[in-house]
Amino acid sequence: MKLSRRDFLKLSGIAAATTASGGLASFMPVMAQDEIVMQWWDHFLPLQPLTESVFAAYKEANPNVSVEYSVFSPPDLGQALQLAYPNDQAPDVHALAGINVPIAALQGEGWFAPLGPHVSEEWKNSLPESIFIEGRTTFGGELYSFPIFSFRWHEALTWFDKQILEEAGYDPEVGPRTWDEFRDAAQKITANGGGTVFGWTQGIGHIDRMGATLTRLAHLAGSSGEFDWSTGEYAYGSDAFVNALEFLVSMERDGSLFPTGITIDTRNARSRWATGSGGLFMDGPWNPGVLQGNFPEFLEVVGVSQAPVPDLDTPAYTYSSPKSGDFWISAQSDYPEHAAAILQEFTSESYQIALAERMDQPPLDLDTVAKANVHPTYSKSMDLFRDIVRLAPDPLVKNPAVSEVLSRMNDIRPNLGEIVQGAIAGEVSDIAGTLQAYSDQLSAERERAISEAQAEGFEVSQDDWVFSNWDPAADYTSDMYDA
Amino acid sequence: MTVLSSQNRGAPASLAPSTILNKVWRDRWIYLFLVPTIILFGLFTLYPMIASFLLSFQDWNGFSREASYVGLANYQEVIADPQFWMAFANTILFMVITVPIRVTLALILALVLNNPKLPFAGFFRTALFLPVVTTMAIVGVVMTFVFDPVGGPVNQVLMDTNLISAPINFLGRSNTALPTAMGIHVWKWFGVTLIYWLAALQTVPEELYEAARVDGASVYRTFRHITVPLLVPFGIIIVLITAIDTLRVFDLILTLTGGGPFLKTEVVEVYIYRWAFNSSIPRLGYASAAAVFFGLTTMFMAILQGLGYALVRRMRGTS
Repeated sequence: MKLSRRDFLKLSGIAAATTASGGLASFMPVMAQDEIVMQWWDHFLPLQPLTESVFAAYKEANPNVSVEYSVFSPPDLGQALQLAYPNDQAPDVHALAGINVPIAALQGEGWFAPLGPHVSEEWKNSLPESIFIEGRTTFGGELYSFPIFSFRWHEALTWFDKQILEEAGYDPEVGPRTWDEFRDAAQKITANGGGTVFGWTQGIGHIDRMGATLTRLAHLAGSSGEFDWSTGEYAYGSDAFVNALEFLVSMERDGSLFPTGITIDTRNARSRWATGSGGLFMDGPWNPGVLQGNFPEFLEVVGVSQAPVPDLDTPAYTYSSPKSGDFWISAQSDYPEHAAAILQEFTSESYQIALAERMDQPPLDLDTVAKANVHPTYSKSMDLFRDIVRLAPDPLVKNPAVSEVLSRMNDIRPNLGEIVQGAIAGEVSDIAGTLQAYSDQLSAERERAISEAQAEGFEVSQDDWVFSNWDPAADYTSDMYDA
Repeated sequence: MTVLSSQNRGAPASLAPSTILNKVWRDRWIYLFLVPTIILFGLFTLYPMIASFLLSFQDWNGFSREASYVGLANYQEVIADPQFWMAFANTILFMVITVPIRVTLALILALVLNNPKLPFAGFFRTALFLPVVTTMAIVGVVMTFVFDPVGGPVNQVLMDTNLISAPINFLGRSNTALPTAMGIHVWKWFGVTLIYWLAALQTVPEELYEAARVDGASVYRTFRHITVPLLVPFGIIIVLITAIDTLRVFDLILTLTGGGPFLKTEVVEVYIYRWAFNSSIPRLGYASAAAVFFGLTTMFMAILQGLGYALVRRMRGTS
């Protein structure tokens, strides 16, 4: 049959109209029921092959279920979620990087679906008791998520080229232990470096990281951290923070800092450190994992030691907040049961061992590291963490209404990391005054936010930041909140 | 277009010729061809502008489904924030310093390159225009290596020629970071201004130069009394286009310094970005207020540009 152009247009029009009016759509659900395609967004690039292997195994057991996996950079993930949720385009499962809004506030917006109804009691009982934290992983006693990583780590380990450190007169098995030793070693490395190797390589331009690093050093100098737990006040103006920042600044004044470090981020700094700038480098336990991927030859000469402390006579600890869940099932997901089934795989021993072998953040079960094939520096890092990392109290756990305060607080700028960069770049001359001013501004902002939350009926006060039974040498465990 | 001739316009007899519908129907083909532009302009220019304006009166973190109306509070906060004014000052400083440099240098080079006797003029024009076609973000990243205090080629050359005794941390010090960014911006966009000037110079009749030469006018007097008066109208436009151009340096600053050290190179665009996407709790309403405020500044520049056009037209009319 020969169609005229007019007939063809008529038929095309009818077909298009039928499709648009849903005529063909009646066939679609049959396909949709058979084929389930889930969306999974996270930012764990080093874990991508491992995560994909979990998806592949699940598909093998459930041939009709596949996962479209997208790995974002942390800021991009935050922005993508920020756009996806209001437009009902949220992925089935996602991580929460790039979003600093308290998780409780997101839960209040109806973002998450509970994990509880889709998992067995047996599996729940297999999880460590310490991960069930109201406002972090559970809401109203219902489990929503769980961490796959341990809280017991910090990002201020001292990494170095063993030979270079040895030439500076230090034992690479011990490393520079105190601030004075660190400074001295850095000066000697610079002196030996001929203008190309510097004593301290750091990505000072990585603002958030430098804020965290300063806080770690302040912990080790005797501070409880961001807050003084005995009063609930901000503690950035304390001697520990001032001294720690002066320690970092002194290394720039000594000429030990790799000059480019002032503007570059940690990733860039690590590349420069691994390719010749040498010296000491503060970083987290993921450093050998990244080096193995990008600079495997350099990894063989790398050593690690504990973060430096002001003196060896005072016991030093650093504190990490309780871990929130790493993956969340979206309330917009049509397949929470499949999401929950996949998530359960992440707590299996085989997964935790494989996770350790990626050499990223320490796995939830630190004991699995001993069974994993990892670089010696990674194993050593775990021992170093066991020695000094303690679980900090969390105001959010004490009173979930604290999230109402946090979500009402605006940023204060320059923030801690920017102050670190400014001080090292010579832009901040009065370190103590600037840190105290930052602390005061934060206090005023929190006070305003507390008043606002109270006016809206939330029972919250500065007392929620007070933990009088806090012991600097011990983990602040769940039972201590009730004491 | 013959299809639009009065015989073929085919307006329905029932419609009065003066009604809007009648006019639309009469010019339906014009409107039909305008539809894609109107839709795209509406979606990607007009709608974001209106949305941003409306958002500037609200408090919204981008996560909650509802935003709360706060009136002019965001504007009051923006105006009271010293960080905003520092970013604003950096933006204006960027413009005030780079525009004269870019416009003047481009004019001088355009005069040189416009000489028909100059060998390899085409090559030089292409070489000077080349940076324009590169991606700004890539330029920013590459320049961090070019200006690197450890082994960067700029420091290497300065050291080798004994102009400096120790490397300069161009991007790591507040007194050099912004001028370095300005220099890179001038280098990157210099070619565009050059092309503008070259186009303007093409409009100066060769006969006038010939007459000046016959009259024995010096190079300076020829430039002063022939070239300059004829280029002034174009100069106004070029200055204004260049000025508006320098208000858009977000990608350069973000990749080059991230606004540091200690916020010393932060421009308004980076300030807006930080509050909208990079703060602990995103403040889209506040960022929009800053954007609207900044937009009004840009609009002020655009109005100046419009006045410039009008001036050119008037000058052309009188000549």
